[in-house]
Amino acid sequence: MMQSYWFGDIVDGSCRPFRGDALAVATHIRDIRTDLKSYLPPDWRTAVDCGVCSNREDYIRRIREVCILLAERRIEEEYRGKDIALIQMVRTLDEIDNVINLLTGRVVDWYQVTQPSFSRKYRRTPSRTIVRTVHRKSPGSLSRIASDIGRLSDTRIALAREVSDTANDIMPNCSALIGGLVAARLMYHAGGISSLARLPGSSIQVLGARTAIFSHLRGNTPPPKHGIIFQHRRVHNAPAEIRGKVARVLAAKLAIAAKLDWYRGEPVPEFLEEAQTRIDTVGNVE
Amino acid sequence: MIWIDGVLVSRGEGGVYGERMLRGQRVWDPFRSKLGALYYKGPVTELTSDMKVLYLGAAHGTTVSHVADYVEIVYAVEIAPRPMQDLIEVARRRENVVPIMADASQPEVYAPLVEEVDFVYQDVAHPEQVAIAVRNCVFLKPEGILILMLKTRSVDVRRDPKEILRETETDLSGAGLGIISNTWLEPYHHDHAAIICRKGKVR
Repeated sequence: MMQSYWFGDIVDGSCRPFRGDALAVATHIRDIRTDLKSYLPPDWRTAVDCGVCSNREDYIRRIREVCILLAERRIEEEYRGKDIALIQMVRTLDEIDNVINLLTGRVVDWYQVTQPSFSRKYRRTPSRTIVRTVHRKSPGSLSRIASDIGRLSDTRIALAREVSDTANDIMPNCSALIGGLVAARLMYHAGGISSLARLPGSSIQVLGARTAIFSHLRGNTPPPKHGIIFQHRRVHNAPAEIRGKVARVLAAKLAIAAKLDWYRGEPVPEFLEEAQTRIDTVGNVE
Repeated sequence: MIWIDGVLVSRGEGGVYGERMLRGQRVWDPFRSKLGALYYKGPVTELTSDMKVLYLGAAHGTTVSHVADYVEIVYAVEIAPRPMQDLIEVARRRENVVPIMADASQPEVYAPLVEEVDFVYQDVAHPEQVAIAVRNCVFLKPEGILILMLKTRSVDVRRDPKEILRETETDLSGAGLGIISNTWLEPYHHDHAAIICRKGKVR
């Protein structure tokens, strides 16, 4: 019977040491298949008898070197996925939105006390315009912060476009159904393209509605109809009576689209056409 | 364990995660570490300098660094890449930490690396915590100690934590582990229980 360890194989009590540097050992470990039923943990004394190391300290020094190297390589592999960068982009985008809203609120508040006659009532001035006014009409720091918000808004627009383009590229089917931005957000909440591809439609439907779903599971509220997919126009523009239905059908199609994105990685026109028609006909009485 | 005026500390190089120092020793904060909390809650098997430890769910290596101060060697298993980056940094500075990037539910992957250990410590947020503990018992010496940090909220948020603890203990006994005791980690960590077991029968 054979036991394979990082330092070599033990066959019927005799040792076949594995020779090589840490890199070679790290590669070798990945090929070892262990059967836990007949497994015995390695013993450092065996490694010494094998001639791989000279004593306990040496054993630990070597195994640490191998394990650190192995871990570093696995981290690199994990980060190679294209979705890793996209997740960071989406998170940054959402954070910038937050920052812009907070700062804008603050700045308008400040501006109001410098202009006793200023009021936002009865005029629908977009906040970007107000921020520009604040920048023009205020002195010192207030003006500078207002112009910083303007710059941040420009960065936000550029980043949003980048997110959308990247999503169109790496998850073409989901993006075609729901738009690049929302597709990217769904992917982020699922934890990656592969995780999204493994989710059932019912989970995709409520991704991002965490508070609502847990409050429902605890048993005293109705289930959420939608999470992030609410951001898609076909859901939020749908009449309230059929909104849940639209969300459900869209989520089901997204579950298929995510699998296509992960396993094929290219747009599938036949599927997309059929899915779009199906989503558009939700609520039509047949 | 080393206590200074009722404060748990460990002896080692400081500055791992901004921990406080007390007379040159590292303060082990029970609010940040579940194992630290367990020692505050009552007498538990002490960590000693001849111990070999398998630590499942090592995360950023904060608790690992304290354990490493006490024992001979820690095999620290963690699957997520970001915490692993921190864990590797801890391992570089502490010569008795072996970082293993692997899934604790697949011990066959790291079986060629891990020795027979005296103590398995498991802190993974996973619904299948019992199965993971049982599978990793292959590394535990006979009569060795296993501490399972049961995060009841990871098993099922809908159910009563006490009921989950009872069920987990039944499952562990069924798998041939002897339950020594259990402790809720209130007020340090909510809905977390520590289950202490021994491989083989409890004498």
